[in-house]
Amino acid sequence: MNPFEKIFNYQILSRMEETGAFALTSQERIWLKSMLELEAARHAFAPETLDKLNMLLQGEEPFHLQRIIVEKGRNKERHVYHPLLRQLRRFIIKEQGIRLTTALKHGGQKANQTGIPYKLEYSMVKREWYLLWYGTRQHSLMSTKLRNIVELHAWDLPMERAASAKARLLQLLEQRKRTALVEVIPQYNAELSRILSAFSCFDKKVSYEEASDTYRIHIQHLADESEFLLSKIRFLGLRVKVIDEGYMRRRMIEASTKALMRYEE
Amino acid sequence: MARESFDKEIQFLRLLALTGDAYNRQQFAARLGISVHTYDKTLRYLKEMMNANQQGLSGEQGMELTEAIRYNHYESADPLLLFLYRAKSIKASESMRLSLLLSAMREQALTAMELMDRCSESMPADYPVPDEKTIRGDLKYLEEIGVIFRMDGKRPYRYRASTDLVDMLTDDELIDLYDYVDILANTQIPSVQGYLLRDTLKKALRLRGLEADITDSHVYKYHYHSRILDEAHLNTIYQAIEARRKLAFLYLSPKKEKRYAARNTNPLFERESEGIDLTVLPLKVIYDHQYGRWYLIAHGKQGVMKFRMEGLTGVELSDAVTEDEFGMRLAHAERQLQQSWVIDSMRPLTVKVRFFRPEGSAHDFVRERVESQGQWGTITEESETTFIYEIVVNGITEIKPWLRSFGSSCEVLAPPWLRKEFIAEWKEIQSYYEPVREDL
Repeated sequence: MNPFEKIFNYQILSRMEETGAFALTSQERIWLKSMLELEAARHAFAPETLDKLNMLLQGEEPFHLQRIIVEKGRNKERHVYHPLLRQLRRFIIKEQGIRLTTALKHGGQKANQTGIPYKLEYSMVKREWYLLWYGTRQHSLMSTKLRNIVELHAWDLPMERAASAKARLLQLLEQRKRTALVEVIPQYNAELSRILSAFSCFDKKVSYEEASDTYRIHIQHLADESEFLLSKIRFLGLRVKVIDEGYMRRRMIEASTKALMRYEE
Repeated sequence: MARESFDKEIQFLRLLALTGDAYNRQQFAARLGISVHTYDKTLRYLKEMMNANQQGLSGEQGMELTEAIRYNHYESADPLLLFLYRAKSIKASESMRLSLLLSAMREQALTAMELMDRCSESMPADYPVPDEKTIRGDLKYLEEIGVIFRMDGKRPYRYRASTDLVDMLTDDELIDLYDYVDILANTQIPSVQGYLLRDTLKKALRLRGLEADITDSHVYKYHYHSRILDEAHLNTIYQAIEARRKLAFLYLSPKKEKRYAARNTNPLFERESEGIDLTVLPLKVIYDHQYGRWYLIAHGKQGVMKFRMEGLTGVELSDAVTEDEFGMRLAHAERQLQQSWVIDSMRPLTVKVRFFRPEGSAHDFVRERVESQGQWGTITEESETTFIYEIVVNGITEIKPWLRSFGSSCEVLAPPWLRKEFIAEWKEIQSYYEPVREDL
């Protein structure tokens, strides 16, 4: 299972593209074989397909790499695969409108909502799937957990309406973008790798000023991701500081003030 | 035979992924411990690979590498760091020959002699025509890595490409398989083989004219891309553990400024390296989801030792130990790590905290997070607005950031010194933001 095989070389890859060939190695098949053993596989394929895949992989040696790996700090997994993904990804490709009924947080259902599906999003933190879509009644960008979708149907809307809805959706997404500027306190520069790792799950840029040996991290995120970003900043404690004025900074003042109030006797 | 090492590329890509374009050439090279010339050469090579990879795709030509590596989950789920695994050097004639052979064997089963004929017909004039020995060598290699297989029957043997996994599937099934591989490679570890398979399936879909079905409809939020760079050593570590053999490597602590040290091959000029040469018995690897980082757990001179995977360079297999010794060391390490939040093996202690439910929200997301991330800790109800969380854990260094991330929703109760530490820290954090300016 050496991932550095020469067959993976980028020149071979592009040459094969020209000749219409491809190379399927046993290590790729072995990896797949171990992944098909997961519960998720039962939801991802029709039973005949799964049988067929298992049959095709019969001859491969089983894979035991997982035996030596211990995962830590992982959130409980709600699901890896959701049965609605198959249908929804096809709707997204066909730019097909949808009509759905969703379960509400505190019981009850909301029926007959219509809209355009945009992306299927998996949160590595929540460990579950969401549908991002544009609600043609609400005129807004929606994010719905797949497990809350009770019913899903195709819904036809005129082409020009679909196009304008899509344009509006992208516009809304753009409007939801926020930025934050965080500075690494220079005395913690030795931990730079840890600090930057913690932010590497965001869209970020780093700038460095040699004279003061100071690093600044420019983070771009969506408005609803602010809470998660704040929790990362609190996670790092004294190592970093929010430096731009505005929401994030206000929230950090609030968090430290309220936290200190908890400890007052 | 000296194994081609990708240590330089790994460190290079990691630094690039973490810092983007924060450094200029000199600063970047200095941090890697390489010359500016080597920096330029490596960057050129990586760019060349990136452009070759994007052939036929919509990617803009000449896109800056830092831009390409930059995380943007709404635009691309293609992990560009994967091209580390596409970096193995190969002669142009060899890449030409192998792709010719594979496309011939995809159509039908052929003998070595037939393949030789095909090659002489199709090889461009400026490349040497391969001889029989070369072709047999290629076939042996391709069979070993499972890309082709030998058909049953009499000599001369015929060979075919092993592409049944794709060819036997209907279009719809192939799309389902592509999605599954995409999802599992992105959400599970190890993932490098999954990403490689994803590329292969992508190509297969394109060959069937199903280009439109390769979408970026799936996106993954809060992903740690650079984790796939650390998987580079996983295979060697796995081999060592399975064979109960020790590993020798040069460890460069990631806390040092320099991230890589070029090794002078002439021993007369060998300079003192900045890392430590170590030989240890590997036992386990740990993946930390909080930072997307890997650790190697091993037994060495100081008992149980822990290494950040990104600090390992020049990893080689060394002497074997007995099964008994391995079993004993592993059991010892497992006992020590049993109550580690991540890898800390300090003395166990009880941490007790009070969590406050969110005010003015019917949805208790604090409780939900504690249940999901609190590992083996226990929860006891306290009041309408609070609950108590208690855990026995090895040392507090690793759990502390997690508790702090809850901000004012968490109050440390015990041990008392930890409570004091939290008060001191929050005071200092508050001072970062003083004087408080009121926007009127």
